Amino acid sequence: MKFWMQRVAMAILLLLSVSALTFGAMNVLGDPLFNILGPLAGDVNNPKSAALIEEVKAKYDLDKPLPVRYVKWLGDFATGDMGVQFSTDGQPPVSGLIKERVPRTITLLIMAQLLAVMISIPWAAITAARAGKRSDKISTMNSFFLLAMPNFALAILLKYIFSLKLGWFPLTYKAIDPLFQQLRQMFLAAVTIALPAAAVYQRLLRTDLITTLQQDFILMARAKGLSRSRVIFRHAIRPSMFSFITVVGLNTGGLIGGSIVVETVFRIPGIGSSLVESVLREDFPVVLAIVMLIALTFVIINVLVDILYSIIDPRVRR
Amino acid sequence: MSEETVAVSDSADTEINAAIQKKIGWGFWLAISWVIFITLLAILAPYLHLKDPRGYFIDIDGNGRPPYGPSFEHWFGTDKDARDIFSRSLHGARISLIVGFSAITFGFLVGGTLGIIAGYFRGWLDKIISFCFIILLSFPSLVLAIMLTALLNRSLFTISMILGVLSIAPVGRLARASTLQFSDREFVLAARQIGASDSRIILRELLPNVVIPMSALALLGMAVAIVAEGGLAFLGLSVSQGITWGSLIQIGSDSATTLENAPWIAFFPILLLFLTVLSLNFAGDRLRSHLDVKESSL
Repeated sequence: MKFWMQRVAMAILLLLSVSALTFGAMNVLGDPLFNILGPLAGDVNNPKSAALIEEVKAKYDLDKPLPVRYVKWLGDFATGDMGVQFSTDGQPPVSGLIKERVPRTITLLIMAQLLAVMISIPWAAITAARAGKRSDKISTMNSFFLLAMPNFALAILLKYIFSLKLGWFPLTYKAIDPLFQQLRQMFLAAVTIALPAAAVYQRLLRTDLITTLQQDFILMARAKGLSRSRVIFRHAIRPSMFSFITVVGLNTGGLIGGSIVVETVFRIPGIGSSLVESVLREDFPVVLAIVMLIALTFVIINVLVDILYSIIDPRVRR
Repeated sequence: MSEETVAVSDSADTEINAAIQKKIGWGFWLAISWVIFITLLAILAPYLHLKDPRGYFIDIDGNGRPPYGPSFEHWFGTDKDARDIFSRSLHGARISLIVGFSAITFGFLVGGTLGIIAGYFRGWLDKIISFCFIILLSFPSLVLAIMLTALLNRSLFTISMILGVLSIAPVGRLARASTLQFSDREFVLAARQIGASDSRIILRELLPNVVIPMSALALLGMAVAIVAEGGLAFLGLSVSQGITWGSLIQIGSDSATTLENAPWIAFFPILLLFLTVLSLNFAGDRLRSHLDVKESSL
């Protein structure tokens, strides 16, 4: 019981620190007043703009000290009120924008994660069965190439080959299209995220599979006369999945970072491309809300995986 | 058949590992040569009599309207403003490599120092430093980088520092882990017994043992920083007005027609970036298995 209390307390402390750091950085390093008013914010001598500054300060609580603003903002954020977009005169509110865009990013990430798992398991099984042979070495080289290709470059290559030259996938994402059509439009983006992830998963699963394949029960299964592929897929895969599952879980958070670039290349209006747009427009509340949302998701996923891990393997709890 | 295959593959695998550990292999030196080669080209770019990277080489009579494909005149072709891609790619290497190098240097100085302090003194100091590392690792790195570039001016210095801050936590964690491991060893105890001060133990006994295995991480970290800078530049968030690989790739791919009709604009910078990252990754990986740093200590 003490273990769980510690984990939860740590998670809450982490969430608070991360949010305080983000909020502090945005307000100390940036200048919210300037973001709302533009050049007028510096024009304090002019009575007209001075009045405007006072009005805006009161409206957005900028006249209160930072900790007070943080607590108020945190309360609002927790209840789903993320403020207004500066760049669009407040319409729609930030929470509306997020609500519209989050499902697309989640769909993209789920698709990418499924693809990565679907690619990596057979890939690992084949290479583990042939460890040390030529096909295994070629596969290792391939994963090196994949991991050395930055995701924006991979995205451009895939877009060039499959959208522009072969015409298999549409170039643009249309939010009004039916779901199936949208999935097809997202497919290349998902592949871009999935391929390097699959390479990482494959390396890991391959190593664990090789260890499992040396166990006696595998020998036993083979002695019974089962075929090699049946032994690998029925007997060896399951006990080798342990660290694979952990890494797939932990990596879900990591993929969010990759989706930023990929969404931008494939013009998918998700949360990542929204972050880039709002940074370029210097739209404070949107950047703050998105960074916070991503960081919180990241922390929560990590804690959940951590807890899941300790349920599967009680030794971790010590 | 099965036990044979398994046994054979197993021994083959350990043989390979043994071979890697014995000598580092020609692949490592090939990769390092490419890194040195591209670094030299980047440093010497202004003195190589390349075409002006910001010059427009429009040649309506000879070639028609730009972009021009790769030719003897323009090795990598030109973009749609008729600027020479070869020259721009080499000049672009400058910012990418400077940022990559300074970021990982900063990460090693700060992260390495913090990690060694945390691992050596332990106690509450270790708790605080480790918690800071965890906070830094709670953001996907690109998200943190984007947030900071949004707030700060985008000069070469700030971009390097931002990516340097991002490499503090991974470097620091490894430094802490190996310091913990070494500070219980006999030679450290012996040094303490003969009355060596903490600073002497850290500098003379621990530092060489902790830093040398981490040299592999320096190569891998530099690759990560170069990719991160490329990503930022691609999003238009790196050094403002600077020519970097990321911004060149962005120019070559911002519209579907440019990418379809003149793929060389994006592909040549991609090729250089890819080769550089591949070389750094490969050299780092080889060095790591050569120095036998256990994966688990990462």
